[in-house]
Amino acid sequence: MEDKVIEVNFGPQHPSTHGVLRIKVKLDGEIIVDAQPVIGYLHRNAEKLAEMGAYPKGMIYIDRLDYVAALNMELGYVLAVENLMDAQVPERAQWIRMLMVELNREASHLIWLGTHGLDMGMLTPFFYCFRERERILRIFDEITGSRLLYNYFAIGGVYSDVTPKAIEMIKEWTDDFVTKLEEIQSLLGKSYIYVSRTRGVGKLTADDVLSYGVTGPMQRASGIKRDVRKNSPYLFYDKVNFDIPSRTEGDVYARFLVRIEEMRQSASIVKQVLEKLPQGEFYNKKYSKPMLVRLKTTGESYVPTESPKGEFAIHLIGDGSSIPYRVRIRSPSFANLSSIPTMLKGYKIADLTASVSSMDPVFGEVDR
Amino acid sequence: MIPIEAETTTKNGIKVVYVSKENILPFLTEKKGEGFDTLLMITGVDYKDHLEVLYHLLSSGNNARLIVKTKTNEEVDSVTSLWKGADWHERETWDLVGVKFKNHPNLKRILLAEGWIGHPLRKDYPMDKKQFVNLSDDGEDRVSYDKTEGY
Amino acid sequence: MSDNILVTSLDEALRWGTGKSLWPFTFGLACCAIEMMSAMGSDYDWARFGSDIFRDSPRHSDLMIVSGTVTKKMAPRIRRLYDQMAFPKFVISMGACASAGGPYVRGYSVVDGVDQVVPVDVYVYGCPPRPEALIQALKMLQDRIVEGKVKH
Repeated sequence: MEDKVIEVNFGPQHPSTHGVLRIKVKLDGEIIVDAQPVIGYLHRNAEKLAEMGAYPKGMIYIDRLDYVAALNMELGYVLAVENLMDAQVPERAQWIRMLMVELNREASHLIWLGTHGLDMGMLTPFFYCFRERERILRIFDEITGSRLLYNYFAIGGVYSDVTPKAIEMIKEWTDDFVTKLEEIQSLLGKSYIYVSRTRGVGKLTADDVLSYGVTGPMQRASGIKRDVRKNSPYLFYDKVNFDIPSRTEGDVYARFLVRIEEMRQSASIVKQVLEKLPQGEFYNKKYSKPMLVRLKTTGESYVPTESPKGEFAIHLIGDGSSIPYRVRIRSPSFANLSSIPTMLKGYKIADLTASVSSMDPVFGEVDR
Repeated sequence: MIPIEAETTTKNGIKVVYVSKENILPFLTEKKGEGFDTLLMITGVDYKDHLEVLYHLLSSGNNARLIVKTKTNEEVDSVTSLWKGADWHERETWDLVGVKFKNHPNLKRILLAEGWIGHPLRKDYPMDKKQFVNLSDDGEDRVSYDKTEGY
Repeated sequence: MSDNILVTSLDEALRWGTGKSLWPFTFGLACCAIEMMSAMGSDYDWARFGSDIFRDSPRHSDLMIVSGTVTKKMAPRIRRLYDQMAFPKFVISMGACASAGGPYVRGYSVVDGVDQVVPVDVYVYGCPPRPEALIQALKMLQDRIVEGKVKH
């Protein structure tokens, strides 16, 4: 019997790799025998460059890690730096941060949902999702002044206050987002083709998830109910009510349902934050802008946060100078992506795009 | 019980323990048995006179965290036998910091092109010396200092 | 031949036609790709300007939008994809990273500008540029194609 296994290269340029992923796939007919991802096509030296400038300067590189959820990345960095410097943050600033982070989680999941639809051969959800996402981006534009990368969180607070007009916009958005989400969900979830292409595909068991260090919605879709916001709360997540959605199937469809439910929960958090938003300072005057570059600190800090992809944190080591000694980024997509060989093995080549896009990899963060 | 050399905490209260590099594999095996079932990441830090390897452990059952550190000069045992996810983290640590992992199944560069000279996250990495990458005929990367070879 | 009125006006008509039917190549590298998707998406809808659906193969397309940081590992692949595109072909360099390295210019594995790899017709500034800026770049490219001032 001759050897029938052929090797196919998937990427680095492919419409459904969500960036520059390359997978070396070994095929026996249609069945995937082995899949080895090759990454590093977007390695932008974020860690090294952050170690070359003052503490606030590192923010621009952290911003561009997970570029669809830049505020979640910023939060991980400011929490680590503030923890290292024992900086006091006004209460209003913390609530504003929570508001912005949850809105950005929605934007990130919407972009995932739209492109996931594209990968499954559906163009319509993409336009519906982008319509909703643009509304969130307009809110960000009003508050921070930019659409995608914000540099909005500063050490000791946020750079600008939430305006009354922005609050109006957010209220308008929360009022009908859930019905719009229902509409988008029915586009995919009620499609027979979508459901049959995703159910039972790309399975990860709970053991695989723990072994690979997979976190976030992927972990929760495989039956492990863990969310950093609940398990070790930061900001004021212990003062709002929300559920952690979880499923036990561990397939692509379960991840879809978990993320949709997470969007509902985030919308409810946004609503609660608006009710509880206190008056007061949004910035600690002690950390005014000219002071920032002279901040010196020493010690080690690792503050875990829940980004849309999973547990995100920065291991920050200071050596007493105004430049961080080591900035190590714990990137959830990197760990999630390493489970590709287990996830794809034994499935058909047509399931590859569904499985890969269900991980929601963002390459700024995988390659750093 | 494996002896712990020193013990501190990070600023937000995560326990940090130092273990000698010979004991790292038995120590982590023991900790995995105690419920630390997730390996969040492996990191290397260059302290100029020595390298340090950090293991971030998480127990998903009782939500405990632990950072294990070990000092080394070049080499440390691989923990891929304990966690499959350690594979990529160790490759990255080798790629960027230059820590060798003994018994690793596939210790190649992961982020940079194969053949890259030096480990960029070392403090003495020459940032002004530019390297160029090109494709050779078989589709693999080729690295050189020569600009005319590049792209 | 070139001063023959019929031929020159036919040439002009062809150029006009090329400019109004650009087929971009789905080639997202980094952050700017998200803004490129926004430009294609609901609010901005750049199909209005005669540049319709993104094509997935280099052989179907004639416009490459380099949207994001070009790393040294990716640069030879970009060159190869560019070589695979059929003539006439145009390149828009989107954002600070693709134009000149952007915030990563000091890094060890980042190419400072995609123009070292492929010839660029229009540069768009911004980090990332807003979709309006990309649409303006598209209009600029169309004007240049009509004037016959493109590089390829």
